[in-house]
Formats: sequence, structure tokens, C-alpha cells
Amino acid sequence: MTEIETRLAAELTRRRFLQGSALTGFAAFVAACGTSGSGSAAPTEPAATAGASEGPTTSEPAPAQSPSTELNFANWPLYIDTDDDDPSKHKTLEDFTARYGTVVNYSEVINANDEFFGTIRPALEGDQDTGWDIVVLTDWMAARLIRLGWAETFDLANMPNKVTNMQDVYKGVDFDPTDDHHAPWQSGMTGLGYDREVTGDLTSLEAFWTADPRWSGKVTFLNEMRDCIGLTMIRSGKDPSLATVADLDEAIAACQKAVDDGIVRAFTGNEYAEDLVSGNVVLAMAWSGDVIAKQAEKESLVWQLPDEGGMLWTDNMLIPKGAAHKYTAELMIDFVYDPAIAAQIAAWVNYVTPVKGAKEILAETDPDLADSPLIFPPADVLAKVKIFKSLSEEEETEFNDKFSALLGD
Amino acid sequence: MGARHWLNRLTPYLLLAPGILWLLVFYAYPSIQMFISSFWSGTLETGFSVSLDNWTTYPDALQRYGPQFGRSIVYGAAATTICFLIAYPLAYTIAFRGGRYKSLLLFMVIAPFFTSFLLRTQSWKIILGDDGILFGPLKDLGLLGPDFRVLATPTAVVAGIAYNFLPFMTLPIYVSLEKIDTRLVEAAKDLYAGPWRPGGSLAGGLVGGLVAGGLATAFQYEVAPLAILGVVSGLLIGALFLSESFIRIVLPLSLPGVFAGSLLTFIPAMGDFVNAELLGNTQTRMIGNVIQSRFLENNDYPTAAALSFMLMAGILVAVAIYARLLGTKELTSS
Amino acid sequence: MTASTAVAPHQRPVTDRLIRFIDRNVLYVYTGFAILYLMLPVAVMALFSVNDPPGKSNLTWHGFSIDAWLNPFGVPQLFDVVRTSVLVAFISTIAATALGTLIALALVRYGFRGAGATNVLIFLPMATPEIVLGASLLTLFVAIGEPPFFPTNFLTILIAHIMFNISYVVVTVRARLYGFDRHLEEAAMDLGANEWTTFWKVTFPMILPGIMAAALLAFSLSIDDYVITSFTSGRTSTFPIFIWGSARVGVPVQVNVIGTAFFLIAVGFVALTTILQSRARRPLPPPAPDAARAEPESGRAALTEVEA
Repeated sequence: MTEIETRLAAELTRRRFLQGSALTGFAAFVAACGTSGSGSAAPTEPAATAGASEGPTTSEPAPAQSPSTELNFANWPLYIDTDDDDPSKHKTLEDFTARYGTVVNYSEVINANDEFFGTIRPALEGDQDTGWDIVVLTDWMAARLIRLGWAETFDLANMPNKVTNMQDVYKGVDFDPTDDHHAPWQSGMTGLGYDREVTGDLTSLEAFWTADPRWSGKVTFLNEMRDCIGLTMIRSGKDPSLATVADLDEAIAACQKAVDDGIVRAFTGNEYAEDLVSGNVVLAMAWSGDVIAKQAEKESLVWQLPDEGGMLWTDNMLIPKGAAHKYTAELMIDFVYDPAIAAQIAAWVNYVTPVKGAKEILAETDPDLADSPLIFPPADVLAKVKIFKSLSEEEETEFNDKFSALLGD
Repeated sequence: MGARHWLNRLTPYLLLAPGILWLLVFYAYPSIQMFISSFWSGTLETGFSVSLDNWTTYPDALQRYGPQFGRSIVYGAAATTICFLIAYPLAYTIAFRGGRYKSLLLFMVIAPFFTSFLLRTQSWKIILGDDGILFGPLKDLGLLGPDFRVLATPTAVVAGIAYNFLPFMTLPIYVSLEKIDTRLVEAAKDLYAGPWRPGGSLAGGLVGGLVAGGLATAFQYEVAPLAILGVVSGLLIGALFLSESFIRIVLPLSLPGVFAGSLLTFIPAMGDFVNAELLGNTQTRMIGNVIQSRFLENNDYPTAAALSFMLMAGILVAVAIYARLLGTKELTSS
Repeated sequence: MTASTAVAPHQRPVTDRLIRFIDRNVLYVYTGFAILYLMLPVAVMALFSVNDPPGKSNLTWHGFSIDAWLNPFGVPQLFDVVRTSVLVAFISTIAATALGTLIALALVRYGFRGAGATNVLIFLPMATPEIVLGASLLTLFVAIGEPPFFPTNFLTILIAHIMFNISYVVVTVRARLYGFDRHLEEAAMDLGANEWTTFWKVTFPMILPGIMAAALLAFSLSIDDYVITSFTSGRTSTFPIFIWGSARVGVPVQVNVIGTAFFLIAVGFVALTTILQSRARRPLPPPAPDAARAEPESGRAALTEVEA
């Protein structure tokens, strides 16, 4: 499996077009795009300003509490650094165990937000422990959890790293103004994933609506509503961050047309990655990191940000209410906000890291990775990605309902 | 003597008690609860409340998911028919021509059962891949167009369902056939029962045409060529293989087995969602997929419960009608 | 059969012979193909257990390698899920077989009020789609809301498996019981054995094959169950759930290894029992169908006669 490591590194070193500070560009763009409508207050918490500028500060655990013997961490697949030879080993988790003595039960059980939510909802409704101490959910699902009061409030005194090192752009989001219910894990982009050998080089979203014999019938759309509808809206020149019901209806009609024209084969979650490798699918709405990960198995796979633009999303760590090991979970969150650890994760995962200082650390050991626009997107890349509008409960129900109808459910 | 007698009267109930209790607590009671939850209204965030006024959930669900219901019935029926067509000759051969190898053959029919059906379905995904071992060479040879695919079509879903339930159809038919006294068939032959060429051909052609036509419509293929194919093959089979003794003796006597097998196939087939999920696409969604997504992904408990009960009711009605048609009143004995 | 029109003398025999040849052999050929069709996915599964894919997807053939067989539990959590699956199957099989056999005995041997209703109750779970079974059980556990039933875990999976297995056990054992000749039991009791001894020394050994078949069926159903388990498992994971989850990102080769291993073990087990059985088999007396049905009354009558 070391082949993969070298191939991955080789792939990444081929990307060399970073100019200027990608991190501030990221911040500027996303702030302008407006994740939150409300003006956020001063993003820094009092505790954070205590003697920290850049760089990791690790504080001692509060004397009254000590780390537990185990921690139950649920995450999406391929989302943490993994040993190439032994898929059950994750250096980051081993480092955590070395530091705190806690055994981390890491499970890659999350394949879709709704599906996973369905499994923890009964426990949360019944005020029971879900069995998970940390779960990783996309923005809108995190928002729902917080809105329902099912996310524990962080004791920020236990997480100085997070407070100091979290990118400013994530601070004060509308669903968590006090930043004490969620901590971004990774951000990612949705765009074109395709097999260059079959389709040639594609750069436009229009490809999804063109019945080209090279890919017609071998195209998949995503079954994540925000990604699918978002990209559809971008293609027709609309802005997903201002989505209205009229926009939704139009987008659904467009998707239905693609289905009726026989272009779209299926609506999938991350199964499209497998199908890209096997050749059953040659063009997919794809998440950036997934395609890169599969390039080791099929070199001709490419992830491309469309000319018209793509979607940006963030997956966040939350502690479900009633978690058995809340304190240790907070330690873990804090641990991964240590720039050295964040760099370690970013190097493997190929998604956008939310931690300040990670880029600098990576630049020391692997400058090519540090230059990767996938992990540290430059300003021009960031200028083209949109974040889907934050929906209210009624809107969400309506949007989901109509989208489900498109999916045949 | 009195105590003994009393104990005898009590024995069946004692024997029944643990198992029946288990079923009552973990099957009957939850089913009733499910039924009640179909009358809930509200959302996750505002909480649910029961009200008889919510009976509208049923017609609403039926209207919205009518297509999926219809599809489940069609796919289930198609899969059952295919299963029957494949299984009957198989069971017949094992029962009447098996000889020493009966057990071995039966075992080989059941053997696939010993592996995970998910893995077997995954294997079908490999076999039926667009450019896989089966279609790749055919496409290279030009026998199939480059756009041809089976995965993510209704054909794949029905084929998957039929494959999964083949042993369920074969075994009951086999059991029925095996019980037939071969002396009856011999007696018929003694009484000049012979090949049934004209009638057989006609019946075979008709049945073949109808079945093929039905399947073609279900899968949205061109009806005409497939129906003709059905007629021709039905004709051949009818002319060559159906004999009077078969039609008049063996077939009717095997009907209980056919009935049991069809039930055991159709019922789970209607509620299946795994095949539709792994081998299909949005146009092949069955009611099972809808119930699963309503339940687990959308948390729409009332609709999911309503759909579940309508599904169950539909099945029970279908079973009752089927029982009447075949004249087999004993649904519950094998 | 009279030849109405002139047919060349050597034509008729040929077509007749041909038809007869086809008649005789086509069924065998057909059976061969049918068995092949049944086994094909199993063969593919076994084949891909010795595949050597560069990454996670195991969908195309890359080359031969027994690495996965040498390291079957190399994938994280695989050992735990397999162990859970086997444990659940084992325990639920024993429980369901015991409960189901008792019910079958009661239904066949005794006439009692409520036999019809019992029959319906046994039949209903088999007629209910798995998804409904799973969902309603989950609703029950949610309603209870307390440990050990909630959050769902190993125990709830066990409960679910026992529940759906009972019906299948009853049906299987009952089929065996129907064909059972009561004369042997009567003979034993005539020779002085009481009910208990008769049951254990005469009845039980003779229905044992039926019970074993039911147990095997229950075991296979349990170890392969995905739908019901997915509703009642919560954080615990079983082998089928693991496969389902990993099918999204790529089923590891080791999963094929485990699947093939299960298959081989099952085949081996059946082969072993068949060999042992054929060695120890004494032919059963031919069943007398009418007598068997009328048994309950006469059996008890005989008993009371002896007692009196």
C-alpha cells in the first residue's frame, strides 16, 4: 500500500499554483459570501486571549477531571490519516492515546447525514446516551442538532487550541453564535469527478446536462440535497446561498430533465467513488477528497472545480447530548486543533483544514502538500465556491420533501 | 388420575407459552404500537401527538407513493414468475430424475444460502458491470451496443430478487412433487395418456407469449419482439415437453407446493429494498426503499408506519385471494 | 398413431428418436445450468477473495494473491462484527429452536382451543416484510427507553433474531412431525415407558433431523440478516451491516474471505452430518398419514387405558 502513498504525494506535487496567503483569502471570501446573516461579535473568547498568538498552546487538563479509558468517535470514511499498511491504525489517534492513555474507538459509520441522524435520533429523543462521544456532521445537520438542543455545550476552558487556532471564517456562524457547540473538522468542495480517459477533460457543469454518448447513462448526481441542487443552481446562474423555493423548483425540474434524458444513471452518496473506479460511472458530482483518494486505483480520475463554480461545505465535530465521555471528547477536539496534528491529518485526507498554522507546519516537511489548492485553496479557487443557504425548519422540510420526490422516495 | 388428566389438558398451553409469549411481546405488541404511530402528527422538533384525525396520512401516503407500491407489486410478481419458471423444471428434475443424487442436488440449491446475500448481490454487481466479465467481451465483439447496461435498471433489480429467492421457490415445489406417487403417473400412461402436442403447443405458446409480454412491459422493453420470443419458446416447450400425464396429474398435485413457494417468494420480494438499492436507481425505487428512507432518513414516522401497514394489508389480501384461487385453504401448514 | 400422409420411413423414427433424446436429456442439461446459475455469485465471491486490488474497491480483477486469506481480520472492526454475528446467530438459534419446537409439538400433538389463532400468529411474522418487523421493534425499544433495551444493542439484536426465527422453526419441525408415525410411541408406552421417557428415547431422536434442519435454517437466517438488524442494532455492528456500510467505499477483500470461509464451513458441516447420518441411519417405518392425524385422541386414550 506504500504505492498509494507515493502516488498520492506525486499527484499533489503536480499541483503548483498557490499565490499569496490562501488562508486569508479563504477567510475574506467566505466572510463576504456570508455564512451568517447576523453580524458576529468579537470572535475571540476571553479564555483564548490568555497568552496565545499563533502556534499550539496545550494546557493541562483541569485537575478535577481526567481522561476516560475510552472514547467513541464516529466519522465519515477516509476522513482521518490512516496507515497505508494497516487500515486500523491512525497515527493521530495513536498520538492521542500516547498523550492521554485513552483508547479511541474510531468508527467510520457515517455515510450520509440523514442516515446517521436516524440512528442517533431515538436515543437523543429519549434523553439517552447515543453511544458516541464525538460525531462529525455537515453544517446543516449540525445546525439541526444544535437547534434541537441535542449537542453538548463545550467547556471551552478545555479547548484552548480550538479557541485560538480555529480559522476566523468559522467563528460566529448563525447556527452556533457562541462557537461552543461545534468545531469544524474539515471543509470540502463539490465539483466534477470524471475519468479523463473516457470523457476527455471537462470543465463545465453543462456536461451534466449534455447527452454526450461518451458519458450519457454513466453519470451520477449526489443525493445530498444541498450539493445537487446547489450545483444545478450554479449552472443556471443562480446563487445557492440565496436559494428560494422558486429556485428549488426550477433546479428540481432541471435534474428531472437530466434523468428523463437518460443522462443520469443514479443519485448516490459516496458510492460514486467505487463506480468511478469500476467504470460503471464516468462522470459524477463529486467531493474533492474522495476522487483524489481513488486516483491511486485509477490514475485517470480527475477532480475539477467547474468554471461556473462549485459548492463548499464543512463537516463539524459535535458532542451528542448525554455523551459518556464529554471531557475526553473535548480533549480530542482540542488535540486535533494542534497545528502539527492538523497538518498530519490534512496531508492524508486532502480536504480543507480549519486549523490555523497547519499550512506553515506542512510547508516545513512537505512544501508541495502545503501548496495544494485542495487543502489550502487559493483565493481564486475560493472565489468560485458557494455555501448553501442556511435553511429554517419549514424551509428544510419543504426542500427535503421535494428533493425526496426527485429521488423516488 | 385427575391430576394427570389436568396436566394433559394443560400441556399444550405450557408448551406454547414461552414461544407465543415471545411473539406476542416482540411481534404483536410492537405492530400495534406501529399502527398507533401512523396516527401521529407533528415533527421531530415540535413533538408528536396522536389523533384519529390523522387518518389522512394513509390516503396521502398512498397517493404520493402509489408508483412505488405499483412497482413493488410488479417487480414482486415478475420475480415470482421468473422464479417459478426456473424452479419448477429444476424441482421436477430433482424429484423425478434425481435418483441417488437428490440430496446432493437439493443441497446445491440451498448452498448459496450459506453465504451473505449482500455479498452475492455485490457479486452480481461485478458480473453485471457495464464492462465486466459478462458484458465487456460482448461489447468488444460488437454484439451489444456500447450504451447497453443492466445495472441500475429494473431488469437488474428483478433479476436480483429472483435470484435471491430461488431456493424458496424450489424447495416447496420439490417437497410437493416428491410426495406424488409415481404409480399414478404410470397408471395414466397405461390409460393412454401421451404427449399433448396440439394442446400443449397452444397452451405453451399462449402462456409463453403472455409471460414474456408481461415481463417486457414491466421492464419497459420492446414488447413485440419479446412476446414473439415468448410465444415461440412456449410453443416449443409445450410441444416437446408437456404431456397429458404431466398436465393432469403432476401439475395439479404439485399446486400446494407452487402455492407455498410463490408465497414465500412474493411476500419478501414485495418488501425488498436491498436489491433496489444496490442494483437499481431512482426509477426503480420500491416501497421498501420508501419506508426505509421515511423511517431512518426523514424521520417521518407516521408516513412510514402507514405505508408499512398498507403493505402488510396488501400482502394479506393478495394471499387470501391467491388461496381462494388455488383452493388451498390451509395457508399455514406446509 | 396412424400416418395419414406419406412420410419417408426413415424420417419418422429420427424425429421421434430426436424428441425422445431431447426429452430425456434436456432436463439434465437444464438442471446443470440452473445449478451453475445458482453458484455463480458464490464462485465470483470466492474468486475475488484471492484478488489483489491496489486500493479499496474490489470490483475488478487485478491479480492473484492470498494475502487476504493470510490476514483475514486485517480490516479494523471486522473481527468484532464477525464475532457478534456468530454469537447472535448461535444464541438465537438455540433459543428459537427450543421455543419453536415446543410450539410445533403443541400444535401437532394436541388439539386445543386457539390452535387456529396460534397458527395465524406463527404465520404473520413470515408474511410481514422484514422492514416492518424491524421498524416496529425499534419503535418498541424507543418507547421503553431504558437500558437494557435502549439504546439498542446486542440484546435487542438477539431479541429480534429470536422473534423472527421462531416461525421458521415451527414450520420446519411441524413438517417433520406430521409425517411421524405414532405407532412407535404407542409401542414404547405399551412396553411400560412413561411419557417423559418415551419422548426422550423414542420421539426426540426421531424428530431430531427435523430439529437440526430447523436449527440450521435459523442459523443461516440469523447470520445473514441485514434489514431487521439494521433497525435494532444501534452502535453494535454485525457482519451484514458491516458489508452494507463498506459497499459504499469498497468492500475489503477480507470480507470476501470471511464470506467464503462461512460457506466452506457450512458445506463442510452439512457434508459431515450427512456422512454421519447415513452411517447411523435406520430406515424409518413408512408413515401412515391418516393414523398420524387422528393420533392425539387415540394416543391419550391409550395412555389413560394403561393408567387405569
